[in-house]
Amino acid sequence: MTALAERPAAPTEVPPSAAPRRRHAPAALAVVAAAGLAVLVLAPNPTAVVLAVAAVAAAVGELTRRLRAQLAAAAELEVQRRDLLTLGQSTAEELEVATRMMRARAQTMTSVIDAVTEQSIIGTDRDGLIRVWNPGAERMLGLPRAEVVRLRTITDFHAPEELSPDDAPEPDPGARFATLVHGAQEHGSDVRDWTYLTADGRRLTVSVAITPRTDDDGEQAGWNFVGTDMTEARAAERLKDQFVSLISHELRTPLSSILGYLELVLDDEEQPLTDEQRQYLNTVERNAQRLLRLVGDLLFTAQVDAGRFTLQPEDVDLAGIVRAAEETARVTAANRGVALTVDLPAEGLVVRGDALRLGQACDNLVSNAVKFTPAGGEVTLRLRTAWRDADGTVVDSATPSTSPVALLSVSDTGVGIPTGEQGRLFTSFFRASTARRNAVPGVGLGLTITKAITTAHGGTLGVTSVEGRGTTFTLALPLD
Amino acid sequence: VPFPDRTDSDPDGTGPTTDGAPALDAPVRVLVADDEEDIRLLVCVAVRKAGCTVVAAVADGAQALLAARAERPDLLVLDVSMPEASGLEVCEQLRADPATAGARVLLLSAGASPDDIARGLAAGADAYLPKPFTVAGLVAQVRTLTVGARA
Repeated sequence: MTALAERPAAPTEVPPSAAPRRRHAPAALAVVAAAGLAVLVLAPNPTAVVLAVAAVAAAVGELTRRLRAQLAAAAELEVQRRDLLTLGQSTAEELEVATRMMRARAQTMTSVIDAVTEQSIIGTDRDGLIRVWNPGAERMLGLPRAEVVRLRTITDFHAPEELSPDDAPEPDPGARFATLVHGAQEHGSDVRDWTYLTADGRRLTVSVAITPRTDDDGEQAGWNFVGTDMTEARAAERLKDQFVSLISHELRTPLSSILGYLELVLDDEEQPLTDEQRQYLNTVERNAQRLLRLVGDLLFTAQVDAGRFTLQPEDVDLAGIVRAAEETARVTAANRGVALTVDLPAEGLVVRGDALRLGQACDNLVSNAVKFTPAGGEVTLRLRTAWRDADGTVVDSATPSTSPVALLSVSDTGVGIPTGEQGRLFTSFFRASTARRNAVPGVGLGLTITKAITTAHGGTLGVTSVEGRGTTFTLALPLD
Repeated sequence: VPFPDRTDSDPDGTGPTTDGAPALDAPVRVLVADDEEDIRLLVCVAVRKAGCTVVAAVADGAQALLAARAERPDLLVLDVSMPEASGLEVCEQLRADPATAGARVLLLSAGASPDDIARGLAAGADAYLPKPFTVAGLVAQVRTLTVGARA
């Protein structure tokens, strides 16, 4: 009994396994009380009566105490119930807020998708059946949403020949769809030009970004196709290409005639020219060559812009290239009174590159240096091995984080380039103020071309210059 | 002197051939095709400087094919971009016809990219000379291509 009385009263703190015992305790106390009362009524012995009264009193006291404890527990339960109710209410409120937010978000998504009228946004299920069709798609392909969603597959709007592998000219719709999403399946996303067929039979060149769409569980639910109509842009690009190649052809053809016939006259041994005639015709030839170089530079710049500039890599001895550039510039330098010196490693320095293009880059740097250096000045070509940091800084000694480079520096004692203009040097048609002031001929393509060639080789082109003192261009090419 | 230095006294191509095998000293016979008249004349001059005879000088690809079948030249100097049929097409058709498949072909073109050159050689050309060419360079090329043409 004492043990029972000492039990903690709060029911919440009692382990569940103790619950049956707790329920039996009042019954046991009642039995004790009843037995006490029976003794009280039946026992003739006063001692027994005293004992029985004591027992009944103790039992009644214990019962009262238990009852109070149960009442307290009930009150506690009521508090908890109220708490739970409040919690439930607030959870319901939160749920409603979340639902509202979800709805708002979906609304935002839908309105964003619906606001896009210049791009087609098409969503499909995993098999290509269309589920999303925005106004951009309506406008581009000429069909309203109601006639498409859940009724048509995306491959219906693609030029069939683009989705037919060569070995299967008549593939089933599933195979066609697999061809369409193949790139995105392989790489996670895919952007390329496809031909869309519109409702009225037009063919559009559309740049389509294809991405997979996942549901809430991260499972793939389908595909997204976001398309931009590039028909006009591509036509303009083609026109520009045609224009450039036409100009190139139309300018080169007359220049071919001029140079060819000049050569016939200059080399005619049967009818030798007077010195004066020869001098005049040499001037004509020199200028025709200059025009020809300009046409070549323009064509090359157009190719770089169009991303159609490719290298023919081979092992190239840079020392040989520098020597050739020096030979090309030697006569001009001598005529201008500029000293030209070269400092090359005797054993040469071989890089992987396009000999023709590297020669062009080197020629540009050397002819620039000579062109911008007044009489009495000096141009130095120096080729050596150096090292390049991860951030592109060229250093003189190797460390574990550096990689070797072939370093060509072309230094002059010329007019220099103002500090503020050095950042724009490699922009097409940019000419430094010192070039314009000193009336140095040129159109501002040489450095653009040199930079493009260097970059295509994985190299860097740097410049340091002090106005009135001279300029050094440094070309670094990776040594593998 | 491997080639008799003859001028083009026989532009119609009714040139000196004997009934069967040509004589050892017969001139190397060359067909020139270029739609630019100035360039065509310049090429003819270079061909003669190389010691060869110009059997026909035409201005488009269709004429080039006709003349090639009629004249059976040893060498054709063809411009790539010509009306009717390009130099590449002419070259392919010459190669496909056993009667003309053995002729040497030198392509001339304003296109000087490695792709252009690869396309030209893929069409069956023996050599490819980018424009603008030097007369001396063309003469050397014609000589190289015609060595042994009549041997």
